[in-house]
Amino acid sequence: MMDTQLLISGILFGLSIGSIYFLMAIGLSLCFGLMRIISLDQLLYYSVGAYITYSLSLATGNIWLGVLGGVGVAGIVSFAVERLIFRRIYERELTFSMITSFGILIGGIGVIKFFWGVVPRPVPVPTLAQVGILGTEVPVYRLIVVAIAVLVYAGIWLFLNRTIIGKAIRAGIENVEHVEGLGINVSRLFTITFIIAGTLSGLAGGLHAPLIMVDPSMGLEVLAFVFMVVIIGGLGSIKGTLISAFIVGQVVSLGSLIYAPLAQMAPFAIMLLILLIKPTGLYGSALLKR
Amino acid sequence: MGEAMVKAFRWWWGILLAFLLVALSRFVLPLAFINEVIIFSIYTIGCSFLLGRVGFISFGQPAYLAVGAYGTAFYLSYFGTNPYVGLLLGVLSGLAVSGLVGPLFVRLRSDYFALVNLALAVIIYYLMQKVLADITRGDNGLWFLTNIVATPVLDISSPNQFFIFALLVAMAVWAFYKYLDDSIFGACCLATKVNEDKLMFLGYSNYSVRLTAFIIANTTTALAGAMYAVYLGFVSPEITSPARAADPVVVTILGGTGTLYGPLVGAIAYTGMKDVISKLIGNWELFIGFLLVFIMLAGERGIWGTLQPRLQALFSRNSAPAAMDDRATKRP
Repeated sequence: MMDTQLLISGILFGLSIGSIYFLMAIGLSLCFGLMRIISLDQLLYYSVGAYITYSLSLATGNIWLGVLGGVGVAGIVSFAVERLIFRRIYERELTFSMITSFGILIGGIGVIKFFWGVVPRPVPVPTLAQVGILGTEVPVYRLIVVAIAVLVYAGIWLFLNRTIIGKAIRAGIENVEHVEGLGINVSRLFTITFIIAGTLSGLAGGLHAPLIMVDPSMGLEVLAFVFMVVIIGGLGSIKGTLISAFIVGQVVSLGSLIYAPLAQMAPFAIMLLILLIKPTGLYGSALLKR
Repeated sequence: MGEAMVKAFRWWWGILLAFLLVALSRFVLPLAFINEVIIFSIYTIGCSFLLGRVGFISFGQPAYLAVGAYGTAFYLSYFGTNPYVGLLLGVLSGLAVSGLVGPLFVRLRSDYFALVNLALAVIIYYLMQKVLADITRGDNGLWFLTNIVATPVLDISSPNQFFIFALLVAMAVWAFYKYLDDSIFGACCLATKVNEDKLMFLGYSNYSVRLTAFIIANTTTALAGAMYAVYLGFVSPEITSPARAADPVVVTILGGTGTLYGPLVGAIAYTGMKDVISKLIGNWELFIGFLLVFIMLAGERGIWGTLQPRLQALFSRNSAPAAMDDRATKRP
């Protein structure tokens, strides 16, 4: 049997990694739900967030300032990409957006290589403090990551349920033509959603940077897990994304305590199992056609 | 008899001409380049078929490429020495894996399909790099060039004769896909892409059409993987790395999605550009990424998709009606 200390730190590790996946998967999920695009370039904003965090924290010495800068730059980049590229392809079929956004992702990785080179860069952890939970010393930073993810979830929930723009977004997920018919500027709605998605991906990158090495293909490394989170949860559902991010995080973390190489594979097996039972994921709606 | 010959010639002349040109380029271009192009075009034709004919976008092709390559590599490193048996085993393992995951994958909506397939490629990467590291030697890869013995008739352990072999295989593959395009099955594939309800009303099963197409395309990809393994005598997890997942899709679109010769034209253009650009600026991703975005925004017809109508107008006397469809690119 595993001892409690290992178990608790394992669960916390899973929670923090799940939080990162959650922040990124929200972007993919929202973009799919409202705009019917699969925006693989979210993984680019994740890398951008991480690299800006690295550079700014190196320049200013304050990592939180770096994370803030990373979030801001990721938002600006996503705004530019939406205006320049996605604006033209919303009307096309889904595969079209997937191919184009993969092109943006690969091209963006090239840009990152151009500016920062290929050498992995370390980002120091903001706080090395440890805190005792049930007799186990756990790093505070991971707790902060989890707390931020919870705050973001609450924020997104409030935004979607309490503000008029959020309500319009939720209505748009159901039927975008009706929303347009009500006189709401749908194209602005799309832009706002895309920026939110990009910003959250940037936040995920900035928060993840101190836990891993920052390198140009870091987006591709988390790609499979983010996909699994989105698929298990069901495209377009925030609640499903939260639950599946939790599941995937725990499976990766606790699985690696049992047998490390298996931890990478286990979420995939779970995903196949869930798709076998319900081909649209846990909370995905039956068939969203437009 | 004579009429049958003419008919056969009319059917074959495109393929013969295309591969005659490839064979002639042997005298101008380095052998390694042409071999790479031929294997790459076989790799791509499966993806092109899935994307252009069946409407599945597959970012997971590297998964099946790796399955074929490792199927061959395991045999040649641990069990035997005959490259032909290795190729056969590679193709069979591709068939087995796509037959195994196919029934599950083709049930999915096209968006989920794309995501799951890409996830499969990443998982196979991890599998080969970490989980099976004892057998695959992880990132170091399997080296078995010295294990391959010379075979009688066509000795594919030498690059020169491998070229002839690859050319013949590619011609067979192209003839097969041309046959598919002409057959009722090909029409069913197109129908399942354009309007699955109508196909259902005609009494066909969307599921089995898609499953068959999926297995055919991915077995072709596994064949390309097996050929890579025999040609290079070396396989590492690098061939299925997520960064290369876009390669077949890029080549498909570059050449012209769903056209018969698109993959060949795309493979030549792509491999050529890759060689030139990685020598010039060394930042390959930057270029390929923006090229992909550019082609998509510029109308996604690709090189062959643009050239074909013009060539047809030029040779309008002896050409069949346009095989390429421009329908179904817009959302219904």
